[in-house]
Amino acid sequence: MAGTLALALVLGLASLSFVMRATGSLLPNLPPAITARTSGLAPALLAALVAIQLTGTNGLLHLDVKVPAVLFAALLAALRAPFIVCVIAGALVAALLRAVFHL
Amino acid sequence: MNDRRSARAILLTAAPIAAAVFVFGMSFGVLAVAARLPAWSVMLMSVLVFAGSAQFAAIGVVAAGGSVLTAIFAGALLNLRFVATGIAVARSLPGGRLLRSLLAQLSIDESYAMSVRAGAPGRPHGRTLLLTGAFLYTVWVIGTGIGALLGPVLGDPKRLGLDAAFPAGFVALLWPMLSGRHAVRCAIGGVVAALALAPFTPPGVPLAGAALVGLWLAR
Repeated sequence: MAGTLALALVLGLASLSFVMRATGSLLPNLPPAITARTSGLAPALLAALVAIQLTGTNGLLHLDVKVPAVLFAALLAALRAPFIVCVIAGALVAALLRAVFHL
Repeated sequence: MNDRRSARAILLTAAPIAAAVFVFGMSFGVLAVAARLPAWSVMLMSVLVFAGSAQFAAIGVVAAGGSVLTAIFAGALLNLRFVATGIAVARSLPGGRLLRSLLAQLSIDESYAMSVRAGAPGRPHGRTLLLTGAFLYTVWVIGTGIGALLGPVLGDPKRLGLDAAFPAGFVALLWPMLSGRHAVRCAIGGVVAALALAPFTPPGVPLAGAALVGLWLAR
């Protein structure tokens, strides 16, 4: 990625994050009914990110080494493995399948 | 009350979490460099953003070929929850509006959780938030730097399965959130919305749809 694009990414994300953290501390009287809804964002977005990365542009499951990798990582997460273990295990599954079956 | 807890006691309690944050930072650094971001921008991101899941999501979008705008959008939406934690900690922070809005930058999931545990009901412990936040910020930035330096040594990202590391990481971030029916409903709704929109809309719109469904289904 070119330097200017990377800088745009960093500054864009940083300024929005700054505003969000500052907003809450400056407006402590926002109605809880509004802020409570933000709790739904993280699960919806992360699940959507997984779905998008495992599917093609046609919206259908794209079968490649990422699918077993994610399933294995999900299994480890369900067994309460730490984040980094899930990430490395997912990468290892993908790397092994690629090396062995030349996928 | 825990108001007299010493700085040393607070930092000792946070030590195991700091170790986890350090390793998370390292893996973020490695993956971000593998996603072809310049090492300096990876460092700068950790210095300025300080939010693991948002940074991870933004880099994941870039690694999968998404645009910068989509990446910013994904990361920023994940950080919207900090509006809620900011409100919760506002009364526990010292100083006027400017100082408070600056100190609130030290709130991440982990420091917020520690301050809630150390505080009275409905009133998170301010000093725990600040000390834990500053501690975690330091190890997050150092971890990222080491990861960004190690990244290029590892070699071809795809051969190492690093493209699978992102969705694997997303699943690992998602899983602990799935306690309770609301969260499960939001996750399923997010998937359905994203996949329904993906074939017909430019990248970014499926994520926006998922976010809206998540807001709608929460509560």
